[in-house]
Amino acid sequence: MINWWILFYILIFPGFLFCLVAAFLLSGIDRKLVARMQKRIGPPILQNFYDFMKLMGKETIIPHEANRAVFLAAPVVGLLALVTVVLFIPIYRFSAFGGIADVVVILYLLTVPAVALIVGGAASGSPYAGVGISREMVAVLSYELPLVMVLLAIGKKVGLALGENAVTFSMANIAAYQNLFGPLIAKWSMIPAALAMLLVIPCEVGCHPFDVAEAETEICEGPLVEYSGAPLGIFKLNYYLKMFVMTALFTALFLGGRGTGYIALDALVFFLCCVCVTAVSMSLVRAVTARLKVEQVFKFYWTVVAGLALISLVLAWFGL
Amino acid sequence: MFRNLIASSAAKSPWLFHINAGSCNGCDIELVALLTPRYDVERLGFKLAGTPRHADIVVVTGPVTAQSKDRVLRTISQVPEPRVIVTLGSCPCSGNVFKGSYSVVGPLDKYVPVDVAIAGCAPKPEAIIHGLAMATQILKEKKKGAKA
Amino acid sequence: MMFERLIPHCPVLAVMTLFLGAFLTAIFGRSKAARRILLMLASLLSSFFMALLVKPVFFDGQIISYWMGNWAPRAGYAIGIGFEVDGLSLFFALLVSLTVLLSNLYSLRYIERDDCGDYYCTLALMLGGSVLSLVQTGDIFTMFVMIEIMTFACVALTAFRKRSEGALEAAFKYLIVGCIGSSLVLTGVILLYAQCHTLNMAQLSALLAGNLTPATVFAFALLLTGFGVKSYAVPFHFVAADAYMAAPSSVSMLFSGMVNKAGVYGVIRLCYIIMQSMRLPALQTLLVTLGTLSMFVGVTMALRQHDFKRLLAFHSISQIGYVLTALGLCTALGIAGGLYHAMNHTLFKGLLFLCAGAVWYAAGTTDLDRMGGLSKRMPQTCAIFLIAAFSISGLPPFNGFVSKWIIYQATFEKAAEGGGFGYIVVTVVALVTSVMTLASFIKVAQSVFFGQERPELAHVREVPLSMRIPMWILAVLCVVTGVAPGLVLTYVVAPATYAVTNVTGYINTMMGAGYAESVMTVPAQSIPVDASFAGYYSPVSWLILFAVLLLAFALVALLGKGSRGAVCQDDTGCDDKYAVFFGGERVTRSTVAGSDLFWGFRYNFRHYFRWMGNVHSGVVNDYAAWAVGAGAVIILYLYALL
Repeated sequence: MINWWILFYILIFPGFLFCLVAAFLLSGIDRKLVARMQKRIGPPILQNFYDFMKLMGKETIIPHEANRAVFLAAPVVGLLALVTVVLFIPIYRFSAFGGIADVVVILYLLTVPAVALIVGGAASGSPYAGVGISREMVAVLSYELPLVMVLLAIGKKVGLALGENAVTFSMANIAAYQNLFGPLIAKWSMIPAALAMLLVIPCEVGCHPFDVAEAETEICEGPLVEYSGAPLGIFKLNYYLKMFVMTALFTALFLGGRGTGYIALDALVFFLCCVCVTAVSMSLVRAVTARLKVEQVFKFYWTVVAGLALISLVLAWFGL
Repeated sequence: MFRNLIASSAAKSPWLFHINAGSCNGCDIELVALLTPRYDVERLGFKLAGTPRHADIVVVTGPVTAQSKDRVLRTISQVPEPRVIVTLGSCPCSGNVFKGSYSVVGPLDKYVPVDVAIAGCAPKPEAIIHGLAMATQILKEKKKGAKA
Repeated sequence: MMFERLIPHCPVLAVMTLFLGAFLTAIFGRSKAARRILLMLASLLSSFFMALLVKPVFFDGQIISYWMGNWAPRAGYAIGIGFEVDGLSLFFALLVSLTVLLSNLYSLRYIERDDCGDYYCTLALMLGGSVLSLVQTGDIFTMFVMIEIMTFACVALTAFRKRSEGALEAAFKYLIVGCIGSSLVLTGVILLYAQCHTLNMAQLSALLAGNLTPATVFAFALLLTGFGVKSYAVPFHFVAADAYMAAPSSVSMLFSGMVNKAGVYGVIRLCYIIMQSMRLPALQTLLVTLGTLSMFVGVTMALRQHDFKRLLAFHSISQIGYVLTALGLCTALGIAGGLYHAMNHTLFKGLLFLCAGAVWYAAGTTDLDRMGGLSKRMPQTCAIFLIAAFSISGLPPFNGFVSKWIIYQATFEKAAEGGGFGYIVVTVVALVTSVMTLASFIKVAQSVFFGQERPELAHVREVPLSMRIPMWILAVLCVVTGVAPGLVLTYVVAPATYAVTNVTGYINTMMGAGYAESVMTVPAQSIPVDASFAGYYSPVSWLILFAVLLLAFALVALLGKGSRGAVCQDDTGCDDKYAVFFGGERVTRSTVAGSDLFWGFRYNFRHYFRWMGNVHSGVVNDYAAWAVGAGAVIILYLYALL
């Protein structure tokens, strides 16, 4: 019987179906919000779903410079990694596979979609993609340092509260801590870390001020330049999913709590939290800023954002 | 059902790729004006794509000069099927004031079948929206035709 | 079983087979067939002898001791030369055997275009034999002798392609710095002998426990520096880059797979067992600092390289940094992580060097700026390279992830258990280093295997089968050790970890039961063996997830197949539709040069890189000065704090 539950978790909730729906809705809401912030009407909420369906029906052109197998496999690998991450993120007290992976695993799984994008772009053989992957990699390098420090700060904070002089990397422990002591964002020593994490999200997702890799006006969408049809659709889907995964991760790390005890209601509250995080960290930033240069992105993350994370880390270290 | 969904999605999410074939920039500016809050074609799902591989609708402005002809045709051929070709402004469909110049080899429909021609120098944004809306219907029919 | 009686003789037989093979190839190696047969026979036999030891040592927990000429200790003094194989020795010895076997198999075809193939075989077997003997011997002077043989075999092999640019220069640098290391080890051995009147490591260990006199501290510092030089940790790393680059790839694999592991082995044996002083925080700080520096300097220097093999060389330094850091923590988790990573490093770095060799064999260059688009010409090499690159960058589910994961856990827990804020910094550096490793392998993938194809590389073909077999073996091992970390930890790493902590057992096996208790003034240190992790990771369970999802997607892909456009296979008959988009122009070659790929990163680190460029001056005097200077600092540090 247990095997059927695993299948249910993977395919329906919180796996495949749930996160696809959530991703489409979330990214649609994001586009609508940005449009409203710019006094536009904006596309329908389901616009991204239409985009995806359209791309599924289009012709797939594989350039003869490209390595066919890698070119086609890359988007699927990225998608799998993202869906796998969703399975490890606890939704309040519910967690499908919480016991078998921790934040370090999540951290590494989150680099897999970026690597998939990079390798797929490289395999397309386009010179624009060459520039794009170099920028994407620098973006990964930029946000990784603050992200790591945020996770360590949380690990220290939670570990101190839960055990004698201990640290933890476990998502389950972080959820348990918030279950007992309320959301982490309410702890003042964690506020800088939460800010840093909010700033990490747009870069990880690749959205506007930090979308140096896919700058469509200068390097023709970078790694995606040669993609068309279904593989492009899956890459676009990865982008929406990344949005959901990152906001869900933020919600699980900072906005956890008791939950209501009903999974459906919890999932709804969880999703609403994701929407709020999206509105603050992506829509607002996207609507009011212009794209940075790649070396500015790097500098910003290694000084300002890493500095914020460091404040939290030091505070957590002194037991605050 | 699935096919219908794909076909109707095609009409709802047309991505544009804009090629300048020697235009005076008048039409280009009008095209960009469509993205502003006043007209906001994004509400119809339009989006400017960065590469021809992502595009559904190719928008060509300018009278197709001798220098640009090969590049325009090469780029159009790189757009995946189904694709719709729209000429924007009078230049690509007649040559306009540049007709007869030694450097102009247009109009565009000498080389590729043009689906929608939006006339005007430069066309009004409302006219462009109307033309693009027609293009989306052609896109949908092409998609259905390809499946049938 | 018929091999039962053979088992005590196995360590020495494995070593002697290799040395005998070296002498025989020197005599009969003129004929190509003879030297090939001798080479493979010697390495296979030697590996076979080592494999026999797996059951008694790893599974039954025995420690095998062997006295040359049966000169067992008399009256409490060990005069004879002994071999002693505990879990730690066998762990490293197996790595050495595997590396030697695969490297020799690979070199059969790889060096066929060079002259002097017989010298190569002799030297490679000598190098293998010396390292194999180094990790198994129970006698510290034998260790020194083997280091000498190793160094000179390395020097000669570095200069093997003596007509290629920089080979002789690299060999010269290696000779100078290697000799500094060896002479430090020799001085240390002499000082220890003067103090304890014995050269047997077990007896030394018993006599030195809790007995840190000024003379022994001096000896300790010298030995530590000497082994540090051999493991190419940071202030000693300069020659490694030159040597790895100049040597043939099969030799570079030997260098990074076992020669620097010999240094690591020396450090472990010295700090944990002979001196038994790893519990001192000063020593932990020293090793962790060296390791962290190596990690960071190695990886940042690698990001700047534009030669495939030189880049790999800097990654060797960086990965050894991980190993040293983990071992310096002196927790069970740290030791296990360090040993696991040492094993993984042998696997994936050997594999990467073999890939570099394959690229050199096929394309004739290892310069990243002069290659591109090889993935279609060499699909298998490309696949193997990707496996190795993902392993070293620590992407799940490959092996690098498991060991790095354990190391992060260990450093983070050490920080919590009173290690201080510095260990948090170490954790952060370790995690960021891992991403930078990924970045530099992305660079290699883009410059060598993907990107636009170069017309002058159109003749490139896949390498012969005998070169692909060792590569595939290593690739499979990389995946297996990543997917089944539980098994590897239980059956391979745990016995080695236990051996590191089991000082009393080590002494008593060699010197007779009860010796340790009677001689040692303080009881042997015990490291709490506590395998509780700060987090969870179980690759098998989510491999199932991957499998299910893959199945779902295979179905989707099959359904969607009808809408795929035709793919143009050959280059000639294609219309523009299948050319890459180049702004409408006809495609011309235009790529970002390998060394400029991460410009945004390099720009922000430009001052650091300028300084690093000045430090890596290429002048052997500077390198020697760094080695000696670092040695002096280590001596002063240990005097001040021990």
